[in-house]
Amino acid sequence: MRDSHTLKSLAVLLENKKISSKEVTSEYLKNIESGKELNCYNTISQEKALIDAEKSDERRKSQNLRSKYDGIPIGIKDLFCTKGVATTASSRILSNFIPNYESTVTQKCGEAGMISLGKLNCDEFAMGSTNKTSFFGSVKNPWKSLNSDNELVPGGSSGGSAAAVSGDLCVASLGTDTGGSIRQPASFTGTVGLKPSYGRVSRWGIVAFASSLDQAGPITKTVEDAAIFLDIISGHDEKDSTSSVNPKENYYENLNPDIKGMKIGIPKEFRSDKLPASTQKSWDECADLLKTNGAEILDISLPHTMSALPAYYIIAPAEASSNLARYDGVRYGLRVKGNDLIDMYEKTRSEGFGDEVKRRILIGTYVLSSGYYDAYYIKAQKIRSLIKSDYVEAFKKVDAILTPSTPSTAFEIANEPSDPVQNYLNDIFTVPVNLAGLPGISIPFANDENNLPIGLQLITNSFEEQKLLNVARNIEETISYSETPEKWWLK
Amino acid sequence: MVAQMIEGWNLVIGIEIHAQVNSKSKLFSSSPTDFGSKPNSQVSLIDAAMPGMLPVINKFCIEQAVKSGIGLNAKINKKSIFDRKNYFYQDLPQGYQISQYKDPIVGEGFVEIETENGQKKIGVERLHLEQDAGKSLHDQDPNFTFVDLNRSGIALMEIVSKPDMNSPEEAVEYVRKVRSILRYLGTCDGNMEQGSLRADVNVSVNKPGNELGTRCEIKNLNSFKFIHAAIVYEAKRQIKLIEQGESVNQETRLFNTQSGETRSMRSKEDAHDYRYFPDPDLLPLTLDDDWIKGLQDSIPELPDQIKERFINEYFLSSYDANIIVSDKATSEYFEDVVKNRNPKLVTTWVTGELFSILNKKNLIIEDSPITSKQLGELIDNIENGKISNRQAKEVLEEMCESGKGASEIIDEKGLSQISDENEIESLVDNVLNSNPENVKKYKNGKDKLFGFFVGEAMKLSKGKANPKIVNDLIKKKLSQ
Amino acid sequence: MEFDKKSLLKLGKLARISISENKLNNLSKDLNSILEFVDQLKEIKTDQVDPTSNSLNQKLEVRDDKVDNKNSTEDVLENAPEKEMDFFVVPKVIE
Repeated sequence: MRDSHTLKSLAVLLENKKISSKEVTSEYLKNIESGKELNCYNTISQEKALIDAEKSDERRKSQNLRSKYDGIPIGIKDLFCTKGVATTASSRILSNFIPNYESTVTQKCGEAGMISLGKLNCDEFAMGSTNKTSFFGSVKNPWKSLNSDNELVPGGSSGGSAAAVSGDLCVASLGTDTGGSIRQPASFTGTVGLKPSYGRVSRWGIVAFASSLDQAGPITKTVEDAAIFLDIISGHDEKDSTSSVNPKENYYENLNPDIKGMKIGIPKEFRSDKLPASTQKSWDECADLLKTNGAEILDISLPHTMSALPAYYIIAPAEASSNLARYDGVRYGLRVKGNDLIDMYEKTRSEGFGDEVKRRILIGTYVLSSGYYDAYYIKAQKIRSLIKSDYVEAFKKVDAILTPSTPSTAFEIANEPSDPVQNYLNDIFTVPVNLAGLPGISIPFANDENNLPIGLQLITNSFEEQKLLNVARNIEETISYSETPEKWWLK
Repeated sequence: MVAQMIEGWNLVIGIEIHAQVNSKSKLFSSSPTDFGSKPNSQVSLIDAAMPGMLPVINKFCIEQAVKSGIGLNAKINKKSIFDRKNYFYQDLPQGYQISQYKDPIVGEGFVEIETENGQKKIGVERLHLEQDAGKSLHDQDPNFTFVDLNRSGIALMEIVSKPDMNSPEEAVEYVRKVRSILRYLGTCDGNMEQGSLRADVNVSVNKPGNELGTRCEIKNLNSFKFIHAAIVYEAKRQIKLIEQGESVNQETRLFNTQSGETRSMRSKEDAHDYRYFPDPDLLPLTLDDDWIKGLQDSIPELPDQIKERFINEYFLSSYDANIIVSDKATSEYFEDVVKNRNPKLVTTWVTGELFSILNKKNLIIEDSPITSKQLGELIDNIENGKISNRQAKEVLEEMCESGKGASEIIDEKGLSQISDENEIESLVDNVLNSNPENVKKYKNGKDKLFGFFVGEAMKLSKGKANPKIVNDLIKKKLSQ
Repeated sequence: MEFDKKSLLKLGKLARISISENKLNNLSKDLNSILEFVDQLKEIKTDQVDPTSNSLNQKLEVRDDKVDNKNSTEDVLENAPEKEMDFFVVPKVIE
């Protein structure tokens, strides 16, 4: 591989005929092959990708391009339904499922001429923050700590999506984010991860985890690419009742890194003694940088921040317990034979789902069940109102909020805590954003003492993606973070 | 009969009606709703709950629910919520039914029914929208159940009554009335045979003055006959239990249409924990005042109003009016015929002769072999004295057989009544002149002979003479 | 509230997930740990707060009553583990 490509750079190369779609697609397919150890892909669409690339080259020849990004190979989280291509949600229960329909988001990518290289590994049904819950095994983080050869988690649930971008196994990828599943792995892999406002991107055709929180978004190498990709996938979809009717903007065209006069809030509740010194340092440095670039830095308060994670672990499992009821072995997916219908259901679901998914279904079933509904589910929905109003108040004072993306950098796969709650803490900074339905982005800021990427998170008000990208672009432009992982898997 | 059987007992009945919205497509998907299609031929990816599928609500169904609410004199809720009712079943693809739980689209209302003791108000608790489930076939294979999802996702209105009914007759009247209102509104076709309208009936019994008894719910009754029979059976069963010193278990029961018995389906202990919660795929449904007002203005005249109008305008008895307005098509038929005709005559002919023909042929009025125009023509012939009532019945029968018009048949058969006084006078003269003996006897006080003269005159006219004129003339002549 | 084996098995029934004896202990430990974690919300006062079930502030979008039957029986049955004569097939259910 020569330089690593971006959507932006590759569009120029393709336009100038420096490279063909077929060449670049083959290049990435080779990278995927040599990067198999990373376990990024559940399905590789080798043949189809090459055919599609040839078609793209023909369109280019006949000047009949679908978009500027026609012919660029991307990766798709294995949660998006893709016509004729296995869609498994990294679960045994869907391991044989081949949809005959295409999700709105991947449809839009296809309409832009983008080439799908295949389906990216993730936590089972997007439930996890280390990618360890995948039926197809953990994804490995392309990054390794300076002093250790041990394999690191890529984060989750869009672990494959983040690792594939970071390790050059695709130019950019699609992920989904329910509580941090785009931003947290982006932070762990030195990539840019954007979770749009709830409703900005259609959920139609995406395997649902928690319907009121799920949102698809891009994982890219740069903020510019994030803007480009968001332009492609966003917009109203009449097939999704929760899709926003707000008109979409031209995020890339209107990208403007000028932040003079903007107010950036630093929420005190995100401060913690437990935060690694290097993360704290990056956070401070970034605030200083924004100040230097003309923004005003304000201390703000988001009083209910600490209640977000427990509220999330009621709401998300509750919705999931219902969303995953359809996996019953009747119409598609795994069926394990039983003595009667109920036995068939119980065996199918017991063998088809992994431990974390089962835990969440059970918790979700519990918090909705008679006698506990008010104490748990309604309580959590009330907390959600409080969190939302925290942000409403904050955005009366500031344009954007700056926080760390994660409480730590990537950790060793072997060191994953066995207590599920310890794992849940990975999402502590990202979850409030989902509960409030806001857009958030994680951008790589620096590497820590172990040479592992540190991500910072920016948050703006609902449907202010443009502002979000502008501030992120300002930071990106100023620091020009250019660290890349050493490709140990090529040895 | 029923009253005797349960003498000394109170019957308390509440009913949940499931009425299929008269929509072309389903509540949350664009699949068709046609009855009797090939299995799984009306199923979208949404109805089959494929991964990632999302519901989008059918505007028409919202309108029909609100219209129905208005027809049930009910409160329309400007904000309502769709909830998920979670349970596993082979014909429930999502693993939950989208329904409305705490915040239904329509709140409290009422309907009025006719009972032996006059009008009675039956309270309506609520009306909400929900999805129908698919259909399971258990008799296709000894070891397997087959599932057809054609019905899955069809829009239903669930109308919940208050426990205001106290006899099987009232229960039937209530369902009849609700069905009639929905049919007038056009929100549900009310076809019970095809399952467009089903009732779940809650029955309990208690001794007057005692607190309410434990209730049982009998599911899925799809005819008036079954509703009546199921309540009678269930009331008897419960009374027997209590009289034997046993207690009634709260449970869901099924009615066996063959045996006329109910049997336990599941008890309260096995009751599902449905884990209702607001469907996160659907935002709250909000209705504007103006929009509701627009629907209110579009509501057609409903049976109660029409009945009142018929009584005032056509001087119908409450009884006759009730019969005629209970069905939209009948009241339309009646109104077509009654225009510019004698209402009493029209009522008699519609509720008498026409109904008996329809009954005999087992037809609904929409399929009547006699159109309202044809019946009108027949009645015109009676009114202008061309034919007698008795002749008219013959003509009507002939009309059914041949499909010909009344006047045509009258002409063909030469049935036309003789009403010309001169013509009848010569007939009468003829009879009197030919029977001088009898005339003498009559004049000497043998009144009974009057009938003999009338009979002879009619015989002479081959039955075509207007009997009234014949009568009048004979009376006149004999008194001279 | 704590999950003991009995309540866990009941919950498994409700969720249609069978739980094997050897997993009961660990599972109840995990679930209790999660419950303990979420129980901290009990300390937050929420009497005057309305619940939010979806953060999107928008009217429910509706569609017209139009039929669009683009999914064929084959499409719908394509992934079925067991089918016969255009039906989905499941083990015999006794009602």
